[in-house]
Amino acid sequence: MPQAAERKALATGLQKLNENMLTLAELSELAVRKAVDGLTRFDLETANEVFTLDQEVYGLQLEIERNCIDLLALHAPVARDLRTITTSLKITTDLDRIGRYGKDLAELTLQFRDKPVVDRGDVARIREMADRTISMVDTAIDAFVRRNAETVRNMIEVDDAVDQLHDENFRDLVRRMSEGQLSIETGARYLLVNRYFERIADHAVNIGLRVVYMVTGDWLPRIRAADRAKRHDGTKEKGAT
Amino acid sequence: MSAKVHVDKISAWYGPKLAIQDISLDFEEHSVSGIIGPSGCGKSTLIRCLNRMHETIPKARVEGQVLLDGQDIYGQPAVSVRRRIGMVFQKPNPFPTMSIYDNVAAGLRLNGVRERKKLDQAVLESLKQAALWDEVKDSLDKSGASLSGGQQQRLCIARALAVKPEVLLMDEPCSALDPIATAKIEDLIFDLKKDYTLVIVTHNMQQAARVAETTAFMYLGKLIEVGRTRELFERPGETLTESYITGRFG
Amino acid sequence: MKFPVDRDTRRRWFDFIMSGATLLCVALALLPLGSILFEALVRGAPALTPTFLTQSSLMGGIANAIQGTVVLIGLTALVALPVGILTGIYLSEYGKNRLGGIVRLFVDVMTQTPSIVVGIFAYSFIFELSLLGFFPPPLVFSVISAVIALATIMIPIVARTSEEAMRLVPTSAREAALALGIPRYRAILRVVLPSCASALVTGALLGIARVGGETAPLIMTAAWNNDFFNGLNQPIAALPTQVYRFAVSPSLAENRAAWGASLILVLLMLSISIASRAVIRMRAVRR
Repeated sequence: MPQAAERKALATGLQKLNENMLTLAELSELAVRKAVDGLTRFDLETANEVFTLDQEVYGLQLEIERNCIDLLALHAPVARDLRTITTSLKITTDLDRIGRYGKDLAELTLQFRDKPVVDRGDVARIREMADRTISMVDTAIDAFVRRNAETVRNMIEVDDAVDQLHDENFRDLVRRMSEGQLSIETGARYLLVNRYFERIADHAVNIGLRVVYMVTGDWLPRIRAADRAKRHDGTKEKGAT
Repeated sequence: MSAKVHVDKISAWYGPKLAIQDISLDFEEHSVSGIIGPSGCGKSTLIRCLNRMHETIPKARVEGQVLLDGQDIYGQPAVSVRRRIGMVFQKPNPFPTMSIYDNVAAGLRLNGVRERKKLDQAVLESLKQAALWDEVKDSLDKSGASLSGGQQQRLCIARALAVKPEVLLMDEPCSALDPIATAKIEDLIFDLKKDYTLVIVTHNMQQAARVAETTAFMYLGKLIEVGRTRELFERPGETLTESYITGRFG
Repeated sequence: MKFPVDRDTRRRWFDFIMSGATLLCVALALLPLGSILFEALVRGAPALTPTFLTQSSLMGGIANAIQGTVVLIGLTALVALPVGILTGIYLSEYGKNRLGGIVRLFVDVMTQTPSIVVGIFAYSFIFELSLLGFFPPPLVFSVISAVIALATIMIPIVARTSEEAMRLVPTSAREAALALGIPRYRAILRVVLPSCASALVTGALLGIARVGGETAPLIMTAAWNNDFFNGLNQPIAALPTQVYRFAVSPSLAENRAAWGASLILVLLMLSISIASRAVIRMRAVRR
């Protein structure tokens, strides 16, 4: 009976997709972890490994895209299958980006080679950003693997904390550079590190929200704290009349 | 906002056997509604209760109400109900001894319309609406059986439209047709919905997804779920629905 | 002993032999019909003189018998066809219940009633009625009596064949008509009946052919009339009875005349059959 046969082919395709997605997620997370490790310990060897990982991530992402398009074309999936496939298609972008930022961090590590970070405060701040970010990536990927929407529903709030931290670091770095406590070159690199972590966290949030859609069908809007505040101010002004 | 057709707790039997149970749903005017479900779930029985064709089967019985514009069709003469609610069947069934013209005109003629002009007009309009006019305009006196399967089905649609119904019921209209004929009929359905209210029974889910705005899923004689087609196919509410549409059983 | 040829050739031989055997059987089946026509033609043709055909039996001709047969068939058809077809309609369209089953049983039994019994029935029926005062006794031997008998034979045949003919019309045609809001009786009359028109005509023909050749009931009811048709309440001549009378007559000339009458009877039945087929073909071509 045609229906039964389609199920087998589709099920096989979905299984392969899932396996690939798991691998991709693992590679991306590994890239970030290794990059952070290399950065905080100034281990150039570790940093170099990240470049290879990034290549793998990119290649796998392309393959997954092709898989998804095939499944859509051949099986006209609906409901959960449809949501799984389209979510996977979108998440690969986020995972690829996460891997890429890992690579960017590794590049910075190589640039820091001659001028290692001495200030304990800086190291501590980098560590903190790194820990929070990796935790978010971990949560998001875990939610995807287990198809669990609950753990990621509040990712936006967690992201707010990271954004705040990012803003604080930014202001601090700018102050130190303008006061001459920090060379422009070093400061610029620190700004980039700061930025990369914030972006990785953002992509982790994307993944989390998409997992919610995949599992439940609900769309959670992605409104960041800054925008929320702006909106609030806007309405306050309008409401004044 | 009341619906064009409101089905209220319809149950139907074939002799002692209960075929559908306590079905209630609405069909909006100028829309296409699809009814899907595995074989034997009662979708054909349900649709036949909508124009009182179910009772033409010996020992068949119906309980409940079907309101057309607020009036129960089971309280009116069946013949007048069927003039307002038309039907197209699974296997194209043009009248065997009649020409194309006679087939389309049959509904009017056999209800007393004799004026040649009126009949000509109706035949022209209906065949045009059924997207068949261009193909048969020069051979209207040829036998209805001389057409291809897809053309025959469009002929049956034209015949049903000729009596100017308000609702058109289609019982798996494309089952016996090839993909191109099917596509033509689906295009036709798309065009017809602005003038008629259509209800389509189909065992092909993708077809329901393509043509229907609202879809109802039936299983073992019961209505399991009904909703906007987009919602049903993206995130169905019932596990049973999801299992069926993803092909996990069928 | 092993066949010296291979399987394929064996199969072809077998096929050939079977085809031959089938044709042989067909020939055997057609033999009686063929010989009847042949004999009738050969023996009857010499008897067909103009006087023979135009004079009544008073003068030794069969004109009145021909007329009698035509009159009897005509009147019987007039009565039996509507009744038979309506019965067929009932059985096919409305008779799916127990009552229909009983009616069908009766009809089936009636088709197998020996025609002499039907003749006696008609005779005594009229006789009883005349005793009760409805008709004067002489009516017992009359056209009316004969028509009653012949109709009793023809109605069940027409009923059954009409029912079978209507059964041939697929349910989908009826459903299509009903779904258009056409009342049931009109759907039957204007859609179902026309769809099986040729089968209905065939059924009517069967009935007419059967009735045209019946002799026994005519002996009991129509009796004999040496003159032409002169009233519904009078006896009437007919070809079958004429053949019988000629055949049992001691006169050799009349025996020969029997063949002439037989030939005419056969030709009459044949021409009815051919004419109706022509009508059907004309209807079909026009479509």
